[in-house]
Amino acid sequence: MTPKTTTDDLFAPLGLAVFERLPTGLFQAVGHLPAWLPVKEDSVDLAGHFPILEIFLPECEALWQAGGPAPMQSDVWTEPDHAGGEIYLQAVAAAAGGRHFIALRSLPAALFTYQQLAHDFELEKEKVERLSHELEAKRREAERATQAKSDFLATMSHEIRTPLNAIIGMADVLSSTSLTGEQKKCVDIFQRNGVALLNLINDILDLSRVESGHVELEATDLDLREVVARAMEVVEVRATAKGLSLRQTIAPDVPRYLIGDPNRLRQIIINLLGNSIKFTDHGGLEVKVEPDPENTGPGRLRFAITDTGIGIPEDKLGLIFESFSQADSSTTRRYGGTGLGLTISKQLVELMDGRIWVESQVGVGSTFFFTARFQVQQDQSERTAQDTPQTTHASLAELEARAAGLRILLVDDSEDNRILILSYLKKTRSTIDIAEDGQRAVEFFRTGHYDVVLMDVEMPVMDGYQATREIRRIEKESGAPPTPVLALTAHAFAEMKVKGYEAGFTDLLTKPIRQTTLLEALAKHGSSGGSGSSEAERPVVAPASIRIRVEEGMEDVVPGYLAKRRAEVAVYRERLGAGDFDAIRKLAHKMKGTGGGYGFPKLTELGAALEKGAIQSDTSAIRENLDEFALYLESVKLEYLS
Amino acid sequence: MLKKKICLLGSYGVGKTSLVARYVHSMFADKYHTTVGVKIDKKVLDVEGQELTLMLWDMAGEEDGAPVRLNQVKDASGYLLVADGTRGKTLDVARSIQQRVESEIGSRPFLLLINKADLRETWEVSDTDLASSGWTVIETSAKSGQHVEEAFATLSSRMLQAQADDSEDDD
Repeated sequence: MTPKTTTDDLFAPLGLAVFERLPTGLFQAVGHLPAWLPVKEDSVDLAGHFPILEIFLPECEALWQAGGPAPMQSDVWTEPDHAGGEIYLQAVAAAAGGRHFIALRSLPAALFTYQQLAHDFELEKEKVERLSHELEAKRREAERATQAKSDFLATMSHEIRTPLNAIIGMADVLSSTSLTGEQKKCVDIFQRNGVALLNLINDILDLSRVESGHVELEATDLDLREVVARAMEVVEVRATAKGLSLRQTIAPDVPRYLIGDPNRLRQIIINLLGNSIKFTDHGGLEVKVEPDPENTGPGRLRFAITDTGIGIPEDKLGLIFESFSQADSSTTRRYGGTGLGLTISKQLVELMDGRIWVESQVGVGSTFFFTARFQVQQDQSERTAQDTPQTTHASLAELEARAAGLRILLVDDSEDNRILILSYLKKTRSTIDIAEDGQRAVEFFRTGHYDVVLMDVEMPVMDGYQATREIRRIEKESGAPPTPVLALTAHAFAEMKVKGYEAGFTDLLTKPIRQTTLLEALAKHGSSGGSGSSEAERPVVAPASIRIRVEEGMEDVVPGYLAKRRAEVAVYRERLGAGDFDAIRKLAHKMKGTGGGYGFPKLTELGAALEKGAIQSDTSAIRENLDEFALYLESVKLEYLS
Repeated sequence: MLKKKICLLGSYGVGKTSLVARYVHSMFADKYHTTVGVKIDKKVLDVEGQELTLMLWDMAGEEDGAPVRLNQVKDASGYLLVADGTRGKTLDVARSIQQRVESEIGSRPFLLLINKADLRETWEVSDTDLASSGWTVIETSAKSGQHVEEAFATLSSRMLQAQADDSEDDD
């Protein structure tokens, strides 16, 4: 027979603790109280145990007084359980048969899991949002920093190249004059170190540009054999000086005519060759090109530059392509260089979809490998010399002849640079007007006729971009054909070039400008006769010589006097460019007073004309007289009695 | 024996439960555990030789769709509004709760606690945000214990002061 079960015994298994309200206001347990309930006595002050019921019980009383039938329930609350955890409770009030009951029930924790999860989720979401905001802010900050770095480099590049331009250029000019052995040595040091400094600056700029993603490779036709040959040419002098042999091997199955970036490819080969030469004292170097054995495909090539140098210890092999690292820091002192060339090469090779590595044995030598991918030109038939652009270098004298007799407007705010350019062009017998800023250049351009304009980019008042735009506008209005405008800039950045070409630059010469570069550019652009007037309308002046007899006793002073006047031509032009009429008046006044005395009445006459022009601020009159002055000085031949 | 009820009100996850745990049990748990309903704890204080029992009603954090149960605040002597300095919007929640309390059950002494002062450098809440209210604001950290005692003590003395003022008015 099963034992008799009362309903009271069911409450505990159901998770209920039921109490009946006594007239005393205390509560009497009905049946067994469940284990989870932190109440053990049979007759209890519920509100004393559970303060939340201080709110609920008065409401129940009100309901019971009113004889309300419906059960009501309290808010849920949390109690500690005896195991150190928590239980969630709720009270329910009910009336039955005139008796009043409160049941406490324990709610399963699972009911609230969703709440925990929702809060966890929300808090995590907020955290992620906060972090992504922070990240975004940091990214913007980093972008600003990169921009600042880029701007800084552009400025530094300009600031450093401008004086360097003057230094290297002047050293070039100086080295072409007659010098004593000692002086020649000094000038050589100027030149060598100036160029070394320039290369270093170029490397740093190059690296930062590659790193900041500013470098985009060209995709133009290239002749692999020529690229390799030109690279070898560049290092040949250094190799020969060290007694090293140079060899190149291009495998027969390597296509010769490719599409890629010839300049950057040459730069990589020169960097690697230059590096090898630096660390090799005996033996020689070899450049080898073959199809990439590991990654076959059209246009995939592997280059190997092998030397018989000191080699690189195995543990340093991975390091040498990092910025500013050589295998051993003591090598910097011994062999010089910053190691930037290899880093740049690595970046460029990666842009060419290739990789670079080195295999080396200490004391035997190293081989630098790199792979690159090119497109292969359809037509692989051998080109004749006429097809490829003329790459042979004309001699300085030839270039001077080719750039001769041009009418040039030189626009530059730096006096040093103006003097440099003038000295570069001294032997070309060009007529040069000088403007110190873009605005004066535009004024000159309105009234003068020029075969070519040499335009500095960064100038006060009006910069080179604006001035060029103005010049293009003037030409358009008058229907004149465009005059070549060659920009002179210390900024080597690609974005400057784009901006320059948009403004109307014909070509861009990067400072420091070497004499040959300038003359080549003038020969190329100036002789094409952009203004149309240069060849056709202007009589070719071949100055006939004017013989001046030097008076007795004056032999020692006249040549010097004449030389000073010749040097003064550039000064007049320079001052005219600056609009400094007072200086011109003073110079001219002096010449007016002295010319006749030295036997040059023509100079007195020109001095008077120049002085008058200066007093009247008549630029074009001064310019005409200056042209005549220069021509006269060129034509004068001194004769001596004896 | 004097007994006073204090409610802790604010958004979920600002550290109300942690502040009570720090104050009553000198404990702190890093893991977030949401409060179900309300959790009542008590702390006995000695205020100028008089025993004061604080009943601390740590109420479930307010969230969308589950506003603070104002009927539980009605008989409180004061309350602590708690916001999380690292989450700016919890300050808005605290302000909105204060307005509802004020308009629906009337004025009570209260303080604004900006919790998580140990993460001060990552706070979204700025000094200007705090200065504008004119409320008494205490920067607390349940984690380090910073200013926790002070917060409860300040509110207690405000409540006792308010009680004294009331009885004076009654006289």
